[in-house]
Amino acid sequence: MEKVLIIGGGAGGIILANSLDLDQYDVTVVDKEAEHYYQPWYLYVAFKGSKRKISRPISKLLKPGIRFVKDTVKEIDLDNRKVYGSYEVTYSYDHIIVATGTSPDPNVIPGLNNVYNQVGDFHSNLENSRKLWNSLRNFNGGNIAFGMASPVCKCPPSPIEGVLLLEEYLSKKGLKSKTRITYFTPYPRAYPAEPMNRIVEPIMRERGIEVIPFFDLDMVDTENKKLKSIEGDELNYDLPIIIPPCKGTKIKFRQDVKDEDGFIKADKYTMRIKGYDDAYAVGDVNNLPTSKTGVTAHLEAKVVANLIQGVYDKFTGRINCPFDMGHGKATFVIGDYENPVVEYPPSRTKHFMKMTMARIYWLTLKGYMDPLFDFYFEYTNPKKLNEKYNKSNPPKASSQPQ
Amino acid sequence: MEKLVDSRGSACPGPITDLSKAYRNSQVGDIIVLWATDQGVKADAQAWAKRTGNEIMEIKEEPDKIVIKIRINKR
Ligand SMILES: Cc1cc2nc3c(=O)[nH]c(=O)nc-3n(C[C@H](O)[C@H](O)[C@H](O)COP(=O)(O)OP(=O)(O)OC[C@H]3O[C@@H](n4cnc5c(N)ncnc54)[C@H](O)[C@@H]3O)c2cc1C
Repeated sequence: MEKVLIIGGGAGGIILANSLDLDQYDVTVVDKEAEHYYQPWYLYVAFKGSKRKISRPISKLLKPGIRFVKDTVKEIDLDNRKVYGSYEVTYSYDHIIVATGTSPDPNVIPGLNNVYNQVGDFHSNLENSRKLWNSLRNFNGGNIAFGMASPVCKCPPSPIEGVLLLEEYLSKKGLKSKTRITYFTPYPRAYPAEPMNRIVEPIMRERGIEVIPFFDLDMVDTENKKLKSIEGDELNYDLPIIIPPCKGTKIKFRQDVKDEDGFIKADKYTMRIKGYDDAYAVGDVNNLPTSKTGVTAHLEAKVVANLIQGVYDKFTGRINCPFDMGHGKATFVIGDYENPVVEYPPSRTKHFMKMTMARIYWLTLKGYMDPLFDFYFEYTNPKKLNEKYNKSNPPKASSQPQ
Repeated sequence: MEKLVDSRGSACPGPITDLSKAYRNSQVGDIIVLWATDQGVKADAQAWAKRTGNEIMEIKEEPDKIVIKIRINKR
């Protein structure tokens, strides 16, 4: 039997493992953790104090017959098909998939480590999300500087979802009139994709959130409680809520396959690591020109499972990020390589759909929801939705490879 | 050093993210060549260059992409 080795038991790794024919393939998943976390819920832990259990053992999420090993992969030699774990353990393979997600790196911005350790954040892990909830509960008014510390961020809507949920919390606590919320971003506007920004920025303004564009964080001056940007601007804070820089993998590769930030260079249609036909990078860890989200990891994993099993398939760049607008409304960021993001209006129904997704997430990992997803993705086809909603949006040049 | 940033097809977060990322990893004197398909990139790159003190050397429309050449003057 051919051996498939999957590094990372996150959304991408688990879906991929569960999509392979176990009569044909010997499948092993290696993860440094025993538990898989539902990361989108970090928002509700940090801004609503949710105590819902959001992790499950990876071994229980895999279909029977798939081997799970808890180990940290340190090094990969793609030319010799060798993977090195801890304690001199080595793994071999016929097909390898690297699906190790991103890693937060607060150390690259001077002063940020203090904020990371003392205030917490809502992106890195469960512990830091709980820390942020505690920081919020001790906050009685003042300046909140809210933003991300690098242009790359997984789940692009999540920074704005966070600030809108923060506003909801402050309103409910009666702290709104005593607080100034500033949202800083390295982009020219609050949301990088313009059609979605046309929906989001007016809502932020209406809720009294000040947007500071072109503020690319350079350092945190903890002594004087100031943020400084590469552009040379400053921002005062009493409470800083900052998503740490999002980097790729720390695994060492013997071959030159990573970019400067640790993301793996892969083909945007097949997820094959550049230069290899037996190695793939799936999900947040790759450098594809699309959003880093669970939905993308899911769709990429399905394509790679097909390719390994000899079925022609190709990733379309499809994104479908749920976007919580606070106060019980949500929308979705929908687009693909060929079609711009849809100007999709928020509604209560879409909020209900986002919350339902959180409930059925564990079933989606096993593939039980695939027929429903196939229907949904066709129903929300970006081309069709663009014709309906993006009247003012110019078409894009074709991005087909030459 | 000349660096090619291929952002073709990026609908979200879009080419401006790739440009900001490349800028973080650049040095004064570097040239960033950005490939994109999103029409909004032209206005965004110009606003970005003005705000960050860098220079747009050329914006070229090709049949399958928009090519923007930027010289890094400030870092
Ligand atoms: C606040 C927030 C909100 C979000 N909201 C949404 C949303 O609404 N919708 C959506 O689709 N996505 C959302 N996301 C993004 C989503 O969670 C990620 O995109 C998704 O988890 C990516 O899956 P992945 O498999 O690539 O990586 P991950 O799920 O991060 O999994 C990576 C795995 O690799 C393991 N690993 C890492 N390094 C090693 C190593 N060296 N050796 C062995 N194992 C290793 C890790 O332990 C981890 O289990 C959100 C994220 C956040 C933080």
